Amino acid sequence: MIHAETRPRSSSLWRDGVRRLRRNRLAVAGGVVVVLLCLIAIFADFLAPLPYTKTNFSRLNEPPSRAYPLGTDQLGRDLLSRMIYGARVSMLVGLGAQVIVVLIGVPIGALSGYIGGRTDLFLTRFVDVMYAFPRLLFVILVMSMLGAGLTNIFIAIGLTGWVGIARQTRAQVLAIKEKEFVDGARALGAGFGRVLGRHVMPNALTPIIVAVTFGIPEAIFTEAALSFIGVGINPPTPSWGQMVGEGQQYIRSYWHLCVFPSIAIAVTMLSFVFFGDGVRDALDPKLK
Amino acid sequence: MRTPHISDSQMELLAARLAAVGVGRRDFLKVAGGLATLGAVGFNARPVSAAPALAPGEKLAREQHVRLGGGGWWQNDPSSHDYNKDLYCSGVPILFAGLMKFNADFQPIPYVASKITSNADGSVWTFALRKDSKWSDGAPCAARDFEWSWKRQMDPASKNPYSSYFYDIKGAEAFNKGKAPDASQVGVVAKDDWTLEVTLEGPRGYFPVLSAYLAAYPAHRASVEKHGDKWTEAANIVCNGPFVLETWEHNKVMVLRKNKHFFGAKDITLEKATIPIVPVQSGALPYENNELDISPLQPGDLRRLRDDPRTKAQVFRYPFPGTWYLIPQVTKPPFDNVKVRRAVGHAIDRENVVKVADGFAIPAHSMIPTGFPGAIDDKKIRDIQRFDPKAAMAMLKGTPYEGGRNWPRITLTMREEGLGSKPLAEAVQAVLLEHLNMKTELEVLEQRVFRAGLWKNDYQFVWIRWFMDYPDPHNEYFDTFYGKKTEGRRQAWVNDAFDKELEAGRDTRDAKKRMVNYAKAEEIMQTDGGYIPVAWVARWCAAKPAVRGLEKNKLGETVVEGNIYVDMLPHVYMIEKA
Repeated sequence: MIHAETRPRSSSLWRDGVRRLRRNRLAVAGGVVVVLLCLIAIFADFLAPLPYTKTNFSRLNEPPSRAYPLGTDQLGRDLLSRMIYGARVSMLVGLGAQVIVVLIGVPIGALSGYIGGRTDLFLTRFVDVMYAFPRLLFVILVMSMLGAGLTNIFIAIGLTGWVGIARQTRAQVLAIKEKEFVDGARALGAGFGRVLGRHVMPNALTPIIVAVTFGIPEAIFTEAALSFIGVGINPPTPSWGQMVGEGQQYIRSYWHLCVFPSIAIAVTMLSFVFFGDGVRDALDPKLK
Repeated sequence: MRTPHISDSQMELLAARLAAVGVGRRDFLKVAGGLATLGAVGFNARPVSAAPALAPGEKLAREQHVRLGGGGWWQNDPSSHDYNKDLYCSGVPILFAGLMKFNADFQPIPYVASKITSNADGSVWTFALRKDSKWSDGAPCAARDFEWSWKRQMDPASKNPYSSYFYDIKGAEAFNKGKAPDASQVGVVAKDDWTLEVTLEGPRGYFPVLSAYLAAYPAHRASVEKHGDKWTEAANIVCNGPFVLETWEHNKVMVLRKNKHFFGAKDITLEKATIPIVPVQSGALPYENNELDISPLQPGDLRRLRDDPRTKAQVFRYPFPGTWYLIPQVTKPPFDNVKVRRAVGHAIDRENVVKVADGFAIPAHSMIPTGFPGAIDDKKIRDIQRFDPKAAMAMLKGTPYEGGRNWPRITLTMREEGLGSKPLAEAVQAVLLEHLNMKTELEVLEQRVFRAGLWKNDYQFVWIRWFMDYPDPHNEYFDTFYGKKTEGRRQAWVNDAFDKELEAGRDTRDAKKRMVNYAKAEEIMQTDGGYIPVAWVARWCAAKPAVRGLEKNKLGETVVEGNIYVDMLPHVYMIEKA
C-alpha cells in the first residue's frame, strides 16, 4: 500500500533532519536556550527567589547586589523574580498564539488549496485582504477593542498571524495534491478527509513547522511591543516588554530596569531564530 | 481705590467664564486665587524686579545670558507668540506685558497699568497706563493699543478659540457672536492716550484678575495688519514685554534679548535668554551637559541629580498643588460596603507608596495639600484613614471579605499619564495585596476613553488626581465631590450631610466659618469612605549655581515659570562662576 510505502521514506527525512540539525551548532545552542526558557517558564514558582508582587519599599531601584542579583524595580520588587515570571508570559504567548495561528491558518490554507475553484478564490482574496493590514497596527486595534490581558493577546496575535501560514499551506497542498500517490489514494477509494488528512497534509508539514518556529519569536516580540506601549499585560503581572517600557524612562538613573529585560527579549528572539533557521535548513529537501 | 466686594455669584461667573474658554482648570484656580488677596495689594506702580543681591565676593557675570527649557518646557515649536489671538500658542509669554501681572503668590499686581480704579459696584473699571509704556520699536504702547487688541480678541473674524474670555465686557458677547455689526458698542474705550475705561455687563470684582492673564495681552496693530498670522515671527514681531524675540529657528531654538524700550528695562539685569525646543524624552541630559541653566525635572532624573554631589544643591521643589486619590465606586461590589472602603483607607501605606514616586509625591491625609488655603492639620481627620493594617483587617470583620478572602475581580482604572502616576498606582496595588490580600488588576486607559467612563461612573476602582484650579476649598470639594452636580461627577458617591457643608461653605463669607464647614465636609467624606487620599503632587526643577534671583512665594518656596506666573526672567540674573 502507498501508506506503507511512504512511512519509511518520511521517517528517514525526519531522521536526516535531526542529524542535520544536530550538526548546526548555532541551532543547537538556540534549541538549548529555548528548552531552558520553557523549563524556567514551567517551574517559575520554584525558581523565582521571591513572589513577583513582593515589594520592599526601603530598597527601591537598587542596582544588582547579592540579595537581588538583577537589582530591584521601582516598587522594590526583585527584578530576577519578575523576569522569571516574565518568561512564563513570553512563552505562553509564543506558544499559545501559535496554536491559534495553526488552528486557523492550516485548515483555511489546506481547504483553499485542496478544493480549489471558487472556494480557493474566495479564501485567497480574504487572506490577501487580511495580509494588507499592517500587522502591529491591527493587533493594537484588536487589543484596544478587547482590552488588555493575556487571553486577549493570544486572540489578537492569533487573529492576525494566521495569514502567512494559510498561504504557505495552500501552496504546499496545491503542489502535493497533483502528485501520483494522491491520485493513487483517490483511486483506491479514499475520501476527501482521508486524502487530505493522511496523504496530503503529512507531506505539507515541513514548511508549516518552519513557519511556526519563526512565528513563535514574532508573537513574543509582538507581546513585548504591546506591553511596552501599555496595551499588553496588565500590572502587576510582569512581562518583559512592560518592564522595558516602564524602565526606559529611568534609563539614565536606573539602567538595570530596562537593560536586563531587553537582554532577555534579545536572547529569546535570537535563540528562536537560530533554532528556526536550523530547522528550516534541516528539513529543506533541496539541501539533502 | 475701592475694591468692590466679590460675591459668590461673581466667583461662579468667573469660573464659568474661564471654563467656557477652556482655560485649564489648574490655570483657573490659580488665577482666581489672586482674588482672595486682591484687596490687600497696593495698586501702585513698583519696580519690575528687585536689584540683584550679591553676596560678598560675588559679582555679576559679564554676559547676562540664561538658557532655559527642556523637561517639558517648550517641548514643541510654538505655533506663534500671539496670545491675544490664541491662548494655546505655546509661545513665550515674557515677550508681552499686560495691564496687570501675577506675582509669585499668584496675586494680580499692576504692570502696564499704574493705577486701577472702579466705580462703586465694580461694573466700570479704569486703568491708568504708565506713560513710559512703549512697544519694542519705541512707539508708545497706549490705551488705544489695548482697546484695539481686546476688540481683536473678541472679533469673530479673529476666530479666536477662547473669545468668550471677555464676555464680562459690555457688548462683547453680542459682537463676538455676530449680533452687533461692529465693535463700537463694546465697553472698552481709550478715554485718552493713557486711560482705558472698561464697562462690564454688571459688577465684576474679579476683573483685574482677568486683565492680568495671558489672554489679556496686547498685540501690535501695525504688525498684525502688515504680516497677518506671521507677525510674531522674529523678523516681524513688535512687542511690549521685558524681552524681544531676536531669532526663532523653528523647531530648534528661540533667542530673547532684553527690550530696551520696556518701561522696566532698568530694573532687569538679564540681557539674553535662549530657549531651545527640546523633546521631553531628552530628560535632564541637556541640563547635565551644560546646555541649559534652568530646567524642570522628570521623575527619571530627579534622584540622580539629587544624589550627585555636583548637582545636589541645584535641585529644588516648586509648588504645584495636586492630590492623588482613590475612588472606590460605591455602586460596585466590593466597594458598595462602607467597611471595605474604610479598610482600603487603612491599608494604604502612604509613607511607602510615595517612595516609588521618587520625590514627586508626598503622603496625603486630606484633599488640600499642606500650605494651601483650607489645608487641614487635625489629628482627628488624619486618623480616619491612617495607615493601620490591623484596623484595616478588623474593618472587614462581618463582611463577606473577612480575613481578606472572597474578593471579586477588582480592576483599578487610571488614565495614561506621565510624572510617575503608574508606579504610584502599582504601589497602591502592592499595599492592598499585602495588607488586605486584595488582588487588583491595573487598567491604563487613553485620556478620552478614561474620561468618558469616569463621567458615567463606570469604573469599579479609580486611581485619579485633582490639580487644584484655584486655592480655595470650594474648588477642592465642590467642583469635585458635590453630589448635586449634574455633569462632570467623578464618583457615584453622594452624601447629603456633606453637600450641606459645601453649600454652607459656598454661601458664607466668614473665612473662619467656611474652613470649619470644609473640615467637617472632609471628615464626613472620609468617614463614609467617599474617597481615599493617597499622595500630594510635588514638582522639581534644577537651576545652575550661576542663576540667581528666582522669586520665592510666601511659603519660601522657589517659584518658576508656569501658565499664571510668567514673570521669572525679569528677576533672573547671572553671577560670575566661581
